[in-house]
Amino acid sequence: MSKLIDAWYRLLNALIVVTVVILIIPVMLQILSRFTGLIPRYIWTEEMARFFFIWMVMLGAMVAVRDGTHFDVDVWPELKPRANAILRLVSSLFMLLTAIVFLWWGAQFTSFGWNQTSEIADLPMWLIFIAWPLLGATWLLFIWQGWVRDVQALRQEQAP
Amino acid sequence: MMSASLTPGVAAIVLFGSFFVLLVLRVPVAVSLALACLPVLLFEDRLSPMVLFNEMFKAYNSFILLAVPFFLLTANLMNVGGITDRLVTLSRTMVGNFPGSLAQINVLLSVFFAGISGSSTADAASQGKIFIEAQVKEGYDLSFSIAITAVSAVLAVIIPPSILMVVWGGVLSVSIGALYLAGVIPGLLIGGAQMLTVHVYAKIRKYPTYRRATLREFIAAAAISVPALMTPFIIVGGILLGWFTPTESAAVAVCYAAALSLLFYREMSSRQLRDALLDTGKLAGVALFCVGTASVFGWLLAYYQIPRALLANVQSWGLGLVGVGFFVAFVFLVVGCFLDAIPAIIIVGTTLQPLTEAVHMHPVSFAIIGIVGLAFGLVTPPYGLCLMISCAIAKVRLRYALKDTMIMLVPMLLVLAMLIIWPDIALILPKIVSPEFLK
Repeated sequence: MSKLIDAWYRLLNALIVVTVVILIIPVMLQILSRFTGLIPRYIWTEEMARFFFIWMVMLGAMVAVRDGTHFDVDVWPELKPRANAILRLVSSLFMLLTAIVFLWWGAQFTSFGWNQTSEIADLPMWLIFIAWPLLGATWLLFIWQGWVRDVQALRQEQAP
Repeated sequence: MMSASLTPGVAAIVLFGSFFVLLVLRVPVAVSLALACLPVLLFEDRLSPMVLFNEMFKAYNSFILLAVPFFLLTANLMNVGGITDRLVTLSRTMVGNFPGSLAQINVLLSVFFAGISGSSTADAASQGKIFIEAQVKEGYDLSFSIAITAVSAVLAVIIPPSILMVVWGGVLSVSIGALYLAGVIPGLLIGGAQMLTVHVYAKIRKYPTYRRATLREFIAAAAISVPALMTPFIIVGGILLGWFTPTESAAVAVCYAAALSLLFYREMSSRQLRDALLDTGKLAGVALFCVGTASVFGWLLAYYQIPRALLANVQSWGLGLVGVGFFVAFVFLVVGCFLDAIPAIIIVGTTLQPLTEAVHMHPVSFAIIGIVGLAFGLVTPPYGLCLMISCAIAKVRLRYALKDTMIMLVPMLLVLAMLIIWPDIALILPKIVSPEFLK
């Protein structure tokens, strides 16, 4: 299971790199088509850039849970390890709640938009909307994996 | 049937109350903002949690925000591509003979960096790695080294190009070209104030000074840096001449930095390129996810007309132009302590706009006061990203460098006060170069 989650994490990372690279292309096409007659003036470039942008944001937000890089605010003085662990657990319970909200209502959100298509290129909108429930599901996986790791670390500490 | 709907007062208490409780519990800011909206969305009959996704989608579905990953990528490419190294050499030949040489170089590099990159976090991350350890080795105090790296990094969002100006211009409909021009002089003044601070520190604490560079060394360093230093002129000039939009100019900057790194300086490996792309996507994702949830929060505030209720009081104070200026700066400085700058613009900028319009404050002047205030928020605890990054690089807790950071903020705050009292400091450059942008 843990190996599968690791593989999923690596796939998401690879997709982030791809989306960042692809983002630049439609924007540069837009400029090139304005100043040269080489290529026709596409109007789908702007929409395509926006859609890849949304995916980049959502993918970045997904992996950040595993990296632990979502910014938080630290107002506490130096805490004992035990208090720290409790705080971590409480905060991860709220993350879990958020993941469930995104998965549950995100799925409804996607099914509502199932038949919509985009304004310019006529792309099916569920291709975008599905990012939200997917984010919820991915967060669930990463939060669960984090807990398994914490428990293992605890056991190893107590064992010897 | 009873329809459940909240009064603005109750909604405000639920929204702000749960947000702060969650923050204290160390729930990430982006998640706290989303969760704070949840009870209201569930309870209000006419709303549903799906508003959350709809408003997030609307926030991301904008061509303007696209500039954020581009600015981050430009900065990352500069670092791995050897552009930053060239600029360090140039800075050294320029200010190396001042007392506290290395710290002066740190500040001057931030000024150059600010002209190419629009992201303070990227600046803090790259210069933290270069300077903090090197300064400590030369006998500078660690807390001083962390603090000067963090405070000089805020220049990146004041001197054009700037992520915050692009977002401000997009959200509040102000000409981004005018904002860019208006940021130049305030940015240089703040940079100057920082160099002065370093000078005083260096005299008191006897920090080391390098030998003066020869003119030949300076010319050599300048010559090799010229292509890199052209970037701000391409970006700002391109916008002013109407060649491209601000978002497009950010993409042009990416391509220019990539071309310089790959063709001119030639130090980048494919592995480094991949890491730069990945870092960009990750950081942009984290920062912008927060923008999405903040937009939902801001949307709910507007739904209950909470900003209007909050401001009704202030309007009765009868503040003048300068008074409103100080009030705006104060609000942004306080909000900047708790919130990231982009969500703060979305939530607070739109809230304060009617207040500034009532006293006929120039929109560009309002923007500069707000952006400078928020930029200072990048180094104020508990949520000061630049200070957090610098401390993380030095592996100490945020409190450690707090005192020196606060001391360095004093001269910077004086500059902010000057900008409020004499708005023309910021407005003079756009007035001369492109009066049509000021309307």
